[in-house]
Amino acid sequence: MTDKTDNLEALMRQSLDGDKRAYAELLRETARLLQPFLAKRLSFGSEVDDLLQEILISIHKARHTYDGMRPYKPWAYAIARFRLQDYLRDHYADHLRHAVDLCEVENDLHEDVTGSAMSYESISGEINKLPEKQATILRMMHQEGYTAKEVAEKMGMNESAVKVAAHRAYKILRKKLER
Amino acid sequence: MKEDFEQLIETLAEDAAAVKPAPHPLRLSMKWLGAAAAYLAISLTLSGPRPDLAQKFHEPWFVAELASLLGIFIATSLSAALLAFPDLHQKRGIAFSPTWMFALFLLVIYFAWHADSPPAPLPVQSLECTLSITLMTLLPAAWTFHAMRKFASTHYRLAGSIALLSAFSVGALWLRLHEINDSIIHVIQWHYLPMLGIGLIGLWLGKVLLKW
Repeated sequence: MTDKTDNLEALMRQSLDGDKRAYAELLRETARLLQPFLAKRLSFGSEVDDLLQEILISIHKARHTYDGMRPYKPWAYAIARFRLQDYLRDHYADHLRHAVDLCEVENDLHEDVTGSAMSYESISGEINKLPEKQATILRMMHQEGYTAKEVAEKMGMNESAVKVAAHRAYKILRKKLER
Repeated sequence: MKEDFEQLIETLAEDAAAVKPAPHPLRLSMKWLGAAAAYLAISLTLSGPRPDLAQKFHEPWFVAELASLLGIFIATSLSAALLAFPDLHQKRGIAFSPTWMFALFLLVIYFAWHADSPPAPLPVQSLECTLSITLMTLLPAAWTFHAMRKFASTHYRLAGSIALLSAFSVGALWLRLHEINDSIIHVIQWHYLPMLGIGLIGLWLGKVLLKW
């Protein structure tokens, strides 16, 4: 392995001269080198594979910025890190777009969703149709009188997750009851 | 998945004709510095240097200010060239050298401001100075960004900011050699403080023009 990685500079020099076989070998070695680096930082194998392909394409596009005179690995890792950061930024931005604002959740929790005008019992049929976890949370909070913190403790969840699940359940109920 | 990989590698290898490696960043920055120096010389010839320039060169803080500004110009030029490479050509220390030059520049300006006692009268022009420097910046900025787009920066925001500051320092040098003005307060306010804004615009321009 050491011999192979030491040889990467030579492979890249040959590649820059137009040696296609050396280039294919270099890309294979690079993929082997970067795979564990990405696997450590990403949760799913499919993500690793997708990103690895993207990195290889980036290496291909940027190969003229390597002159064969300096170590190859820092150059390849710089590109890999750059693409990884890009990927994570997009990934988290996407998650944030779909995330629920906790303030919004807090407001909902203070609403009297199951007040006297609409008791828990009167909508229990609709509540039972909710996904099991959401239904359990509403039952515990509005029938049994637990706070979000207590529900979280009992269900082994964190408090924010309980609030978010309750908020989503309210949204579904509100939609159904408005019809 | 393994087949996809092999296919991708084969496609890339097929596409890989011989490539001429990019020039060394030192050579690249020398090219930019040379072009900027010629541009500065032509601009000064056309606009004319300040009449008391020879006399001003006897003032130590004026010379120190110009020298540190020149230092910023050289350091940012070299840094921009290094930042155009994904791995900063493995010369990270030099790539971030403008930080030291800016610190030195601030120190010089601070001492020049202290030495300006009693303060020299403020000139009538104000925003015109910032606009003139910005106009002078356009051409060097355009060619630097054009050149940098041919590379592959992994620090594109910083690269954009440094490239724009480099171009701006050409404009600032030109105005300092051209404008008849002895007020350091004016110079700080209208020549150098706008550098902060230029740096921020550079971050944005880097994202727009250098992302690949």
